[in-house]
Amino acid sequence: MSVIQLHNTATTKGQSVTPLKESSRRTERSKDHWSQLLERVGHNQDREAYHQLFEHFGPQIKYYAMSNGLAHLAEELVQEVMISIWRRATLYDWRKAAASTWIFTIARNQRIDMLRKQKRSSAEMGLETEDLWQIPGDGEDDPLPSLHRIIAERRIRDSFRQLPEEQVTVLAKVYMEHKSHQIVANEMGIPLGTVKSRVRLALNKLKVILQDQDL
Amino acid sequence: MSTHHPDEVMLMEYSAGTLSEPMALCIKLHVDQCSRCRSHLDMLNSLGAVMMENAQAKSQVSDNLFDSIMNRIDQEDGTSVRQTPESPTRRLNPLAKMLGRELDELPWKRQLGDVSVCDISNHFCTGERVTLQKLVAGGRAPSHRHSGTETTLVLHGAFADSNGVFEAGDIVVLDQKHDHRPVALHGEDCYTLSVLTAPVRLTGRFTRLLNPFIR
Repeated sequence: MSVIQLHNTATTKGQSVTPLKESSRRTERSKDHWSQLLERVGHNQDREAYHQLFEHFGPQIKYYAMSNGLAHLAEELVQEVMISIWRRATLYDWRKAAASTWIFTIARNQRIDMLRKQKRSSAEMGLETEDLWQIPGDGEDDPLPSLHRIIAERRIRDSFRQLPEEQVTVLAKVYMEHKSHQIVANEMGIPLGTVKSRVRLALNKLKVILQDQDL
Repeated sequence: MSTHHPDEVMLMEYSAGTLSEPMALCIKLHVDQCSRCRSHLDMLNSLGAVMMENAQAKSQVSDNLFDSIMNRIDQEDGTSVRQTPESPTRRLNPLAKMLGRELDELPWKRQLGDVSVCDISNHFCTGERVTLQKLVAGGRAPSHRHSGTETTLVLHGAFADSNGVFEAGDIVVLDQKHDHRPVALHGEDCYTLSVLTAPVRLTGRFTRLLNPFIR
């Protein structure tokens, strides 16, 4: 092969997923409350549903911004994330991600976007944040309707409460404060290896890291 | 299907949005080709959602925030910025999009013998050294060792060294402990993308320059 194919990996190949209408009642039931609201926003531009989403996620997003040094822009981030949710709701597919997971990825990307705009790096790179960090279901050509994603989210939520404090602390520093594991180690005055082993213990407990035979 | 994956700690930093842009590019290119890591990433994103939800203190949002969001939506809806399922965002391979041309059309600089290099650090403003390398079919890079940490993703072709065989989509992280001599396989040129956090030290008789194939 002499021509180097760069264009063949991340493009949409147009597989259609099963329309929502055909979903069985069983899978309909596995849809959580927030995902249903999100679909109402997507299908009907339902403002009441949108308001409920705002009431639930708005404070979370604001806290998310405040934990990682964007306190002065916290409400701006809430606003950007909510607007993005409104615009993208038509693309939301509950089989690709639970609403909360989908909204987390949007909040993460909007935060990255804000920081990049401050540095003006997106213009120089010619890449958008979403070229590097995908929102689940966006241009995704994975044909598997992934009910396991929904189940996994519930399992993570349920077993999260059983994690020891020291593991939760490390996860929170990475996810909420956006610190690398190395910085977490420096800050807590413990070796990097200890930080990593806490992370691995937590991920094993939550079954986030599956053994290959589980897939 | 890749056989060399980013470790869970790196994947978590990607999910959290903590990784630098060049590192995120490596992970994105890997994840696009690796269903195992895609599945892990889905769950790490769900963990992010659970972290956001479980944050100790939620923040009150201003009373008028929802109204200002709705005002913006009402203004913008006139200009039809909502995305529709019929026109999902098609995403090119981010490296192809950033470079704007195919790999074999880049201004390669021939380095030691079988190795050519193209420095793309200036696409980013993160201070890491980001390079593309080309090792000609059957070619061999000089023996070398790293004084920092280098993350390499195989873009095309394959190479082998004492650590194993690395094919398209594979990711490998090497640090100062490793001393190796990669050889390109399969009768075709091998292209890689590397992010280097500190310069490389040559261990063979070539000491005059840094050779970026040199992972």
